[in-house]
Amino acid sequence: MGGKTMTLKKLGASVAMAALIAGSASAQDGPIRIGVLTPISGTYAGIGQQVTWGLEMATEEINSAGGIMGRQIELVYEDSEANPAIAVQKAEKLLTSENVDFLTGTVNSGATLAVGQVAERADKLIATTVSFSDAITGEKCSPNVFRVNARAGQQSAALAAWLTQEKPGAKVYYLGPDYEMGRSTVAAFKGNAEAVGANSTGEVYAPLDAKDYSQYFGHIRAAGPEVLYTSVAGNDTVRLFTQMQDFGIRDGLTILGASGTVTSQNIKAIGAAAEGFITGVGYSTLIDTPENKAFVEAFNTRNGADPDLYGADSYGILFAYKQAVEAAGGTGTDAVRTALEGMEWDTPQGKKTIRAGDHQAIQPMYVVQIKDGAFTIANRIDGEAAIGADTCDRF
Amino acid sequence: MHDRLDISMRANHVLFAVLMGVGLICVALAVAMDDMFYLRLGTEALILGGLALSVDILLGFGGLLSLGQALYFGIGAYVSALVLREVPSFWLAMGTATTASLIAGILGGLIANRVRGVYFALITFGMAQVVAKVVYNTRELGASDGLIGVPVLEIPLGIVTVSAGNPAGFFMLTLAVVIALYAAVAYMFTTPFGRVVIALKANEKRVPFLGYNTWAPRMVCYVVAAVVAGIAGALYPMLRGFVSPELMFFASSGNAVIMVVLGGVGTLIGALYGAVLLTFLKSIVGSYTEHHLIAIGVVFIGAILFMPKGVVGVVKPWLERRLTQSETSSASSGDRTSGENS
Repeated sequence: MGGKTMTLKKLGASVAMAALIAGSASAQDGPIRIGVLTPISGTYAGIGQQVTWGLEMATEEINSAGGIMGRQIELVYEDSEANPAIAVQKAEKLLTSENVDFLTGTVNSGATLAVGQVAERADKLIATTVSFSDAITGEKCSPNVFRVNARAGQQSAALAAWLTQEKPGAKVYYLGPDYEMGRSTVAAFKGNAEAVGANSTGEVYAPLDAKDYSQYFGHIRAAGPEVLYTSVAGNDTVRLFTQMQDFGIRDGLTILGASGTVTSQNIKAIGAAAEGFITGVGYSTLIDTPENKAFVEAFNTRNGADPDLYGADSYGILFAYKQAVEAAGGTGTDAVRTALEGMEWDTPQGKKTIRAGDHQAIQPMYVVQIKDGAFTIANRIDGEAAIGADTCDRF
Repeated sequence: MHDRLDISMRANHVLFAVLMGVGLICVALAVAMDDMFYLRLGTEALILGGLALSVDILLGFGGLLSLGQALYFGIGAYVSALVLREVPSFWLAMGTATTASLIAGILGGLIANRVRGVYFALITFGMAQVVAKVVYNTRELGASDGLIGVPVLEIPLGIVTVSAGNPAGFFMLTLAVVIALYAAVAYMFTTPFGRVVIALKANEKRVPFLGYNTWAPRMVCYVVAAVVAGIAGALYPMLRGFVSPELMFFASSGNAVIMVVLGGVGTLIGALYGAVLLTFLKSIVGSYTEHHLIAIGVVFIGAILFMPKGVVGVVKPWLERRLTQSETSSASSGDRTSGENS
């Protein structure tokens, strides 16, 4: 009797063990699901398009090379509509209902911050490849949020370096879009520019998606700046620059801008008004390395357009995630977080390092200028010189 | 004996009971299947239903189209979020949010009730946009980033403590709040005072000849709608943990009007049906196609063309006939209706 119960118990135990192993094996073999929460409709749809192209291209390359630890990547899309309230709802769907392992693609900074909080509560990791706001890896940092693109401070440091060289002590006017990204980029650049001796002559904020910028031209003319700094993006830039051209404000003025101001998405629409525009970027198609040339060619062949910083940074994030998962030996949140912190990985724009203290990627910055309708690299700033202080005190 | 308003209200109550019944079955299913997302989406639908209810108070009973009702929803949400970030107390948050929306409603009412018709719609729209932009540009209120960091709330309700992080528990709490709001508003419109409000919608010029003041009922109607929206808004940060100025934008107000039209204007319960339908439709269609806004637009146009009285309007006439019949038959066979009424 006793022997028989033992066997039965053993049998039960081994069945349970087998089920467990089978269960974990199927979870290990199935695809790694990555949520893409990006604006597919609305004013940022163009940015969402680059994000999508970059992520899809990286997914295809990783999958055809055997995936991550033998597991294929599967991208799961949701439209964030660039509205934090919608983004949070969709993020919850991806993180809890769709059960994605990782989430990326958020564009506007407000959405990234709110989605970061959802990720924290769901115990998952997210990374933004677009949002500029310094707060995301600064005062409002989260242990579950990473940023692999350059933040406003890094871009400003690059531009300020150019300003000291080319136009020391210049009179500068600032025009930003009236929301978090606009205000934080203007504040960051203003701080950097004044630190190198520039004179601020005034600042103005235009509503997002403004149709008419001429109401601000009077202020600009009265202030008489030599340099205009702006951080409008997308179609707003097209309207601002062409209207400045039409009103004759553009002549004799050097325009500096955020790296999202003029991109391959809108440069054709701006046309001659974009000539001479200068920006600090973490990525440019002109970076003269074999890796980048191969990337640009492959991107152009696949998507019929050149990558911009969003496309390149979104492409790079999946390789960071791949390397982190492989180092961690799985997709567990804590293990991947530990692996990402301090990790160095290869991207088309060179090596990037994620700073452990605030989850911000350190990368070399470039000053680029538009000449004859095309970007040219004017200067290069080392990653360590542009990164700025770690102001995150939550982890 | 009951008049048409009573019959109509009772038909609403039946439909309300149906919605609640279906809701509870869905909760049971969701809990059984260990789903979290759809429960929380349902909770959001109920919260937005509170905003839609507030639009219907004005549109369906007062005859006033408000295009800025999200203002009071947003005030409730922001006050609740600000309180919760300092003191995580459910009752304190609800109390301050109610008070704030009451005060805001009185101020807004004093401005908006000076005008009628399309001017009322425009002035409510304008007030909401002004406040939304002020919030959008105020660093102390989080500006365009909104406020994050609203803690997951533990809500003591006498015998039990509900956590806002528990999807089923918080859904039930939200349901209870919405039931209370619906019941209070439905009761208000059956009182003599409520009938004066309805009379104002029918013919504002004739009401003074019957000896009634027209200003006070309209004002009370507006303030009640503001408070209902504010209470619903106060629940939002408890669910989502953040507030953003988008909550006050026209998109929110416009959505609430669409919910009411989709569900059925002037039925109260239609607002809740509309909110549930639109919220789930948006979430589900949005996951399948990037052209989800077109799909929503087609549904909305179709609803207006083929269901001018909304989803509720499809079954309500039938329900009212049934209720009238049972009324007359039970009246003839002795008065047994009092039990059913309650």
